[in-house]
Amino acid sequence: MKAVGARLPRYDGVAHVTAKTMYVDDVRVPGQLWVKALRSPHDHAKIVSIDTAAAEAMPGVYGIVTCADVAKNVHGHLEALGVPGDEPLLADGEVRYKGQPVAAVAAETEVLATAAVNAIEVRYEPRPAFFDIRLGLDPDIPAIHQWGPVYPHFGPYNHRRVRKGDVDAAFALADTIVEGVYRPQAIEHCPLETQVALVVPEANGRLTIYSCTQAMYFSLGVVAAHLEWPLNKLKFIGGTVGGGFGGKVDTATETICALLAIKTQKPVKWRFTREEEFLASSTRAPWHIEIRDAVSKDGWILGRRTLTLHDSGAYSRFSPYGLTKHAFHHTGAYTIPAVRFDGFVVFTNRVPTTAMRGFGVTSVSLAVETHMNRIADVLGLDPLELRLRNANRIGDTTGNRVVMHDPSTVVVTLAAAERVGYQLGEEFAAMTAERRSGDLLPEHLVGQQAPDDQSLVVHSESSNGGGH
Amino acid sequence: METVETDALTIARPSSPQDAVAAFGDGAGITVFGGGSIVMVELVHNRLVPEQVLMLDRAGLAGVRSEAERTTIGAMTTVAELETAVEPLGTSARGVADREVRAQATLGGNLCAPPGAESPRGDLQGALIALGAEVRSAGAGGERAEPVEEFLQRGSEPRLVLEVSFETPAAGASASVRRPHAHAYTILAVSGARTAGGVRLAACGVAPHAVRLAVAEQAVADGAEPAAAAARALEGVTPADDALASAWYREQTLPVLVARVLNDLR
Amino acid sequence: MRLTVNGVQRELVSPPLTSLLQVLREELGITSPKAGCQQGGCGACTVLIDGQPRRACLTALAAADGAELRTVEGLGSPTNLTPVQAAFDSHYAAQCGFCTSGFLMASTALIEAGGGTDRAEVIEALSGHVCRCTGYVKIVQAVTAAAAGDVEPASVEADMGAQGKDAARLIPGSPA
Repeated sequence: MKAVGARLPRYDGVAHVTAKTMYVDDVRVPGQLWVKALRSPHDHAKIVSIDTAAAEAMPGVYGIVTCADVAKNVHGHLEALGVPGDEPLLADGEVRYKGQPVAAVAAETEVLATAAVNAIEVRYEPRPAFFDIRLGLDPDIPAIHQWGPVYPHFGPYNHRRVRKGDVDAAFALADTIVEGVYRPQAIEHCPLETQVALVVPEANGRLTIYSCTQAMYFSLGVVAAHLEWPLNKLKFIGGTVGGGFGGKVDTATETICALLAIKTQKPVKWRFTREEEFLASSTRAPWHIEIRDAVSKDGWILGRRTLTLHDSGAYSRFSPYGLTKHAFHHTGAYTIPAVRFDGFVVFTNRVPTTAMRGFGVTSVSLAVETHMNRIADVLGLDPLELRLRNANRIGDTTGNRVVMHDPSTVVVTLAAAERVGYQLGEEFAAMTAERRSGDLLPEHLVGQQAPDDQSLVVHSESSNGGGH
Repeated sequence: METVETDALTIARPSSPQDAVAAFGDGAGITVFGGGSIVMVELVHNRLVPEQVLMLDRAGLAGVRSEAERTTIGAMTTVAELETAVEPLGTSARGVADREVRAQATLGGNLCAPPGAESPRGDLQGALIALGAEVRSAGAGGERAEPVEEFLQRGSEPRLVLEVSFETPAAGASASVRRPHAHAYTILAVSGARTAGGVRLAACGVAPHAVRLAVAEQAVADGAEPAAAAARALEGVTPADDALASAWYREQTLPVLVARVLNDLR
Repeated sequence: MRLTVNGVQRELVSPPLTSLLQVLREELGITSPKAGCQQGGCGACTVLIDGQPRRACLTALAAADGAELRTVEGLGSPTNLTPVQAAFDSHYAAQCGFCTSGFLMASTALIEAGGGTDRAEVIEALSGHVCRCTGYVKIVQAVTAAAAGDVEPASVEADMGAQGKDAARLIPGSPA
């Protein structure tokens, strides 16, 4: 373990400072065409007709693709995780968000490609657009998605559920109920490198795909699925991503470029403009989180009710997965014996949302930690001491019944307090992560505590020095 | 005068102000290229395909000169050169973009900035209105000198800005709303000056271009205290929503900024 | 149109209103300036024009006709970095590296003009450059270090530091 604690140069540092790092847009292939997309100007509309004839006849235009060119237009990127597909690669019969790609052109220059895009005639019939997730379950709001207003495939449910203990009893026992609503908003990843791909058709029928993806094998699978090609006909070349932050798992450009490379038999590059990046690329999701906690006046959280609405945008993409992670963490680093969590993935007419650093979890962490401060405020207690009292300890179980073997909450909270000179009461400053007992094991926490089984405890006698 | 011609494009590059005026003519079909920081964005994104370009970088239109209490600034003077100008012009110049863009952007370009769709443009306009500045321009009907606020109201009539001039005020003040999310863009700015003709006030960010706050000015002239005059700042002004801020937010903050400026001018 | 780029005179055939960003990247194959926004808003395209930092995406070829341009390709090489390049490397001032070219050229100009030792001045000078990865702290540290001549040698060697049980534990009481 020589590396831990050592100061190492970045393996790519010298390349970065000498501009030798090669990004997709820096790759040079002779005869490369430029791609531009026709994007929906409407939040929600029926597509009545698409006519590419005039565009196809324009000078310098080598090929145009629409949904008709895609072998499998709808492919679920997370089918392996049980999330069925719902999103078309290219719009088919309707558009559900402003910026949704309807067609794409490959031409000699960006200027010619843009002119051709402007010459594609699309007739739309606008439809009412829906944006307020708080109305997601309102029966008077017409559904914009074929599955209804919310994602319906959480097993037999249309929501992600966590149930543990007797929440009603906890609320009956409470001295106070503390409520809060938390609404973290969308964030645009805004990497300095916009979405980009360069696809080169090889003489042997394969495609070489230079991609900015954060997840090469994942994107390889997505492209292969849409094309209905075997994986071994695709060669992905990744490398340094010019900033992704979660937004470059969406495989936003590769597949459409692959289609155009096949159609034109020429290398094609699609580099999003910054405007496209803001308009049409995915963002972190907006959330609406309501927490109601049953608390005792001395600072125990007896039970928690949570409702989460997640704004998935027009299609599911990775939202069910993000919501599941969110649900897993809805008690934070604290032990709450009775919980009732309901989370819904709501469809709206905004750009589909996606992963961004801490996908699903940053939203619930914001809500949980702000709520802890709110509880402390209401009860007149110190916010750190409130956390230390309720902190996960060895043998505690989470809402999902995961047993804590080595929770760091107490140790980290005390270390942070010490670092900033935060004065804690003596009893709190002496707290550890050890199994609850005595005053730290009130009646309501007995049932959630895992049995004291030595075989489950991490060996506490560590050898000195040397690595593992 | 140097001229470059390609198939679809003529670039005239005059080497004197007189040549520039002659090349501009009545301005029909002419794309004026000053610093280029606004025009280049339109060209790169193919929203503008010019046929006749008038490049002013060698036309001798840059420079600041002061005679007695009157300052005259050539249209091609960069925003960077105005960072040390008299207040409130100096503050509004320092607030434009960053030093690289300020070194390229010009007074003339800023004065003629087309209204932004997503955010206010033309930060210098408000300061110049507050200073009671006059702009001298060429175009159809010949040369003309007029107050900046009247020039801005002429809308899309093509004019070639030559220079701007103003008397040094007794005092100048600025207040603006700047928020991290807006990066270098100005959401709302108020400029004020105590001139020979009284207190003048102007705002950027409540209209497609900067506007004079005439009602608030009159209140001051009638003896109102800053708070009372500021309360009238919204009369005759209709802020709009844009990407940076809502009309509501601008309505809340405009009187606050005006009060600050009026207090600073005392 | 003519430009001297990193000391080499070049004749350009791009149309006169082509941006320098496009001229450098597409006509000359000089890819260090990046297309971050093509609106002058991010600084990823900054190059030196007659010693001054300017946005290549906002500069027309005709406007720069006859000028001397410097890009990262004209700074040091991997085995002979300039102090600014070495400082960016040793201070971890680049993560994804996409904004780095613009920062390097603006910092080089700042230091060559005698500045860069005052943190507030560095921040003001680089305020038009956006970085989404680093949070800027290490970039500013790299620039002030380079300006002060406080830079490690041309290439950074691994510093293996304290080892084993002598290495400081980050969290007291942690079982790790």
